[in-house]
Amino acid sequence: MSRSLTRFRYLLGEAVDNVRANRTTAVLALATTTFTMLGMGVFLLLYLNAQDALSSLREEIKVIVYLKDEASPKAIAQLRGDLSTDPAVAAVEFVSREQALATFRAQFPSEERLLNGLGDNPFPASLVVKVGPASRSSEQVGALVQSLKAHAEADEVLYSQDWIENLAVAVRYLRVLGVGIGAVLAASMVTILANTIKLTLYARREEIEILKLIGATAGFIKMPFVLEGALLGGTGALCSLFLLRTLFGLAESRLALKGTFWGVGHGLAFLPERVTVAFLLLGIMLGCLGSLVSLIQFRDARG
Amino acid sequence: MIEFFHVSKSYHGRPALQDVSLTIEKGEFVFLTGSSGAGKTTLLRLIFCADVPDEGQILVNNRNLLHLKRSAVPLLRRSMGFVFQDFRLLPKKTVFENVALALKVGGVPEGVLRVKTTETLAAVGLEHRVNALPLALSAGEQQRVCLARAIVNDPQILLADEPTGNLDAALSGEILDLMKAVNARGTTVLLATHNRDLLHRLRRRVVRLEQGRVVEDGCPEA
Repeated sequence: MSRSLTRFRYLLGEAVDNVRANRTTAVLALATTTFTMLGMGVFLLLYLNAQDALSSLREEIKVIVYLKDEASPKAIAQLRGDLSTDPAVAAVEFVSREQALATFRAQFPSEERLLNGLGDNPFPASLVVKVGPASRSSEQVGALVQSLKAHAEADEVLYSQDWIENLAVAVRYLRVLGVGIGAVLAASMVTILANTIKLTLYARREEIEILKLIGATAGFIKMPFVLEGALLGGTGALCSLFLLRTLFGLAESRLALKGTFWGVGHGLAFLPERVTVAFLLLGIMLGCLGSLVSLIQFRDARG
Repeated sequence: MIEFFHVSKSYHGRPALQDVSLTIEKGEFVFLTGSSGAGKTTLLRLIFCADVPDEGQILVNNRNLLHLKRSAVPLLRRSMGFVFQDFRLLPKKTVFENVALALKVGGVPEGVLRVKTTETLAAVGLEHRVNALPLALSAGEQQRVCLARAIVNDPQILLADEPTGNLDAALSGEILDLMKAVNARGTTVLLATHNRDLLHRLRRRVVRLEQGRVVEDGCPEA
């Protein structure tokens, strides 16, 4: 076994001993760390899902042209043909009245009775126009909508641009709020861990003195405390991820959001793998930072 | 090996050492004696860089301690061994771990560490107590563990501050014999004590301090 590995194993053992020796304080610090990181995780999860939804919506800007009941198949085919050659349009799909009714029945089976009072099929036929990637600015979509509204066959024209822009603003606010709250939570976590490590340092000050006398370097003396912070921070992050996953599962089943999220064609997603790893590393880093803060304040630990 | 040039040190305005000049050669065994508060501990603390003199220069192995970087202090200390009156052992570590720690801080490989620690514990007669915790040992045994920790890395200098202060005459004699053996292997020993019996047991150079000054330096007549 290499010399540095042996030394690391020893230092890690000392860190575990530190945690064991101050069990009650360590458990309290771990609980606080877990809930602090859970708070950060909730914001991160909300932000990433909202961001994801926004990206999906942006990729699929649709304009829906509801057609008048009296529009002839020939006129509809003409309109469809015109739109297919429009460079601003990526695709045009015709949804017949029957298809619209069938889709409603499939998506909302429990609302079947609503249809009973409305007589025959109340849904109009429509054209779903997918806007091309180069024509997604507000102005371009607005111009397309205006031109569609001018068609004699069009009864009503709906489009999702306003809704997407509002969502984009909400996501931006969520990010700013998340960063702000995350910073406050991170600062409080560092403070709590720094105080925990400080207690260990005081408990072991005599030992530190002996280590200095027998020629231990500052790094050798400090490393167990840094590792202790990393252990507490990392374990706290791990516990918070476990809780977050449990809460996420509960939210998913309770709110029945599995199928769609804000109208987007995919459900809520948990933190991606790389974000989970980064979240764990953040916990470890904040733990190390807490240790370093306490070591800076504790003069006796200097070599 | 150890040279003091007009060294003075005060604590809160009270002089602990005053204009001390002293040379200790390699391989010497020197008793540092004097009443309590005479400056013995201060002199030792200056050698292992626990304190810095107010005036004067100190050379250890031709290195001026005043010019030593903070990062070089641990290395200097690894060339020394320390024995204290109050033992200063880690209570939650076994005898073996306490002694091995002196090698561990220097990054000695595990295999060498085991052999050296075992040999040293055998040399001080504690091979049967390797797994005991310090508080389960007698005072004499604890001091032998302390001595084993001090010599396990073959230091060039052994500094002992009242090592027999908590021991009876018989145990003091044992500790002195062990130190004599360490000195015979070439280690320079500086032993601070106010125990006159030790000075009579071993006729070696005696440096006597009074009120921070060297008042006597020489080998007692037989």
